[in-house]
Amino acid sequence: MEPSPAQASPLMRFGLAMLCMAAFLALPGIADKGIVFLAGTVALQMVFGLTWNLMFGQTGLVSFGHASFFAVGGYAYAYAARALPQVHPLLTFAGAGLLCAAIAALVGLIALRRSQGVYFAILTLALSQIVYLVISSSAALGREDGFTGIRRPKLPLGWTTIDLAAGNAYYYFIVVVSALLAGIVWWVTHSRVGRVFRAIQQDPERAAFLGIPVQRYRLMSYAIASGVAGVTGALFGPWLQILTPEVAHWTASARPILYTLLGGVHFFWGPAVGALGFAVLEYGTRTLHGISEIVTGAILLAVVLAAPGGILGAVARLRQRITGKERRP
Amino acid sequence: MLSSIAGPLFNGLFAAMVVFLFASGLTLVFGILRVLNFAHGGLFMIGAYLAFTLSGVTGGSEMGVLRYVLLCALAGVGLGILGWLVERSIFRPLQKVDEAYSLIATYALLLICEGAVKAIWGVNFRSVPTPPLLADAWIAGDVVMPVYAVFVIAVGVAFYAALEWMLHHTQTGKLMKSVASDPWMAGKLGVNVPRLYAWIVIAGFFLAGVVGGLLLPNQTLSPNLANAFVVQAFGALIVGGMGNVRGTFLAAILLSVIDSFGSLYFPEIPGLFFYVAMAIMLVVRPQGLMAGGSL
Repeated sequence: MEPSPAQASPLMRFGLAMLCMAAFLALPGIADKGIVFLAGTVALQMVFGLTWNLMFGQTGLVSFGHASFFAVGGYAYAYAARALPQVHPLLTFAGAGLLCAAIAALVGLIALRRSQGVYFAILTLALSQIVYLVISSSAALGREDGFTGIRRPKLPLGWTTIDLAAGNAYYYFIVVVSALLAGIVWWVTHSRVGRVFRAIQQDPERAAFLGIPVQRYRLMSYAIASGVAGVTGALFGPWLQILTPEVAHWTASARPILYTLLGGVHFFWGPAVGALGFAVLEYGTRTLHGISEIVTGAILLAVVLAAPGGILGAVARLRQRITGKERRP
Repeated sequence: MLSSIAGPLFNGLFAAMVVFLFASGLTLVFGILRVLNFAHGGLFMIGAYLAFTLSGVTGGSEMGVLRYVLLCALAGVGLGILGWLVERSIFRPLQKVDEAYSLIATYALLLICEGAVKAIWGVNFRSVPTPPLLADAWIAGDVVMPVYAVFVIAVGVAFYAALEWMLHHTQTGKLMKSVASDPWMAGKLGVNVPRLYAWIVIAGFFLAGVVGGLLLPNQTLSPNLANAFVVQAFGALIVGGMGNVRGTFLAAILLSVIDSFGSLYFPEIPGLFFYVAMAIMLVVRPQGLMAGGSL
């Protein structure tokens, strides 16, 4: 990970993140239902992208099957919420995430020891195809038709109960929880553990030589990323109120990769910016049949060829140029 | 007894050759340029659509085998020309950027392929009948062998033999191997590396087009076709040993035959065993079937 040239100061970045959050919270007041729905989906995708980059940008792990955890989390929540409606929804959400983290830990225990780089990527791709096939042919999960009628739960908070099915309540819930999840990823990245991740990403051999248990930390990165991704999937189910096997498809796993590279691998908020950019692109071209893919593809190509640092990389370079000029008398 | 083995074996071989044919161009490009081309499925799809349109343009309801083969070749040439353009405008500039970015670039290309197909041919499903000569089936004991499947198996083996021969017994093949193992050194020794890269991309695209045409009678044309075989092909490629043609061929057979037998005992989830076998192979033998030599 190259030191990013002209990052904004920490205070400014925190301010920008808060501004972004405020914009999300203010959105239902000014935009129509369609946009609000899109914004809720984007908020989840932003966190989903952040978790992928926790593995890639921080720890150097490339996963081609990240969507399988989104899907497992989503289906696990939907199934559990129907089977055990008396359990507190927050517990069910957390349980879906923990399940994903546990599965990732088990899979990673074998997969990470045996394979690295592109092999690990293809192995995760194979496993995600298995998840996809199992979901699409499981009667209990609704097969190809999808798991329908996922309800937005009532949220008992001790002193009061919030009905998330009412109005925009579930939207606000998504935005707040997404912010919390992003906070968790941020905290992991900037903690001591995050620094160990980066040491492994830069040079696993040297990290091992310095006494870092490389495999254990890789496993930790994979499990945390998968667990948080599972929670975003769990939140997505009630938002859409239906889950189809498409959420586990490999093209869904390509999403966080695109977000990350579009936004900027070397920046913590890169995947979030990329997810936002991608959504704007898709929304802007949604009515053009076929043209929308062409435009999206062409812009991605342009970013790769002209601005390999992603959107934030380009912004940083621009900042550097401006501030550099300003410093001269 | 015999038919209980021969039937699934035949089906497995058919599936294997479909995967191998699809993966052949992918393997060439990955073996030499080290680019995992996500767009290959999109190119394959365009090849199939091109053959479909050509079959309409050339008219006549009677689809002879010769005309069918000619259509595939034409689709291949069309894709080859596209490959030349893409190499110039995308792949060559990509050599300078990080590997991860070439991945996103090929994904972008896949999106463009899908968009182009939707814009040109629409989103409706289309299909093409099998040429009458290939529409028959042979029956040996209890095993039903569609002539078309036999044809695909034969073409797959022929493609494999031709690629092997070209790589190991011709001057071009030796140049390709030298560039694959060390492009810098090959360049120093006077090999025109950029030109060879261009020809490899053109060959990869050409193969995608030809195979798109060849598998057309077996497929329903829709913009989803781009995603049909990509993951299996990646599996064969990596299990085979990173862009090794022989490895890809063997891995395609191994995984598809295992899947074919697996589906007999567990028919609820078709295709599952391909990925199970793929995952097990990657864990047991992470270096691939044919580790060591490239191509």
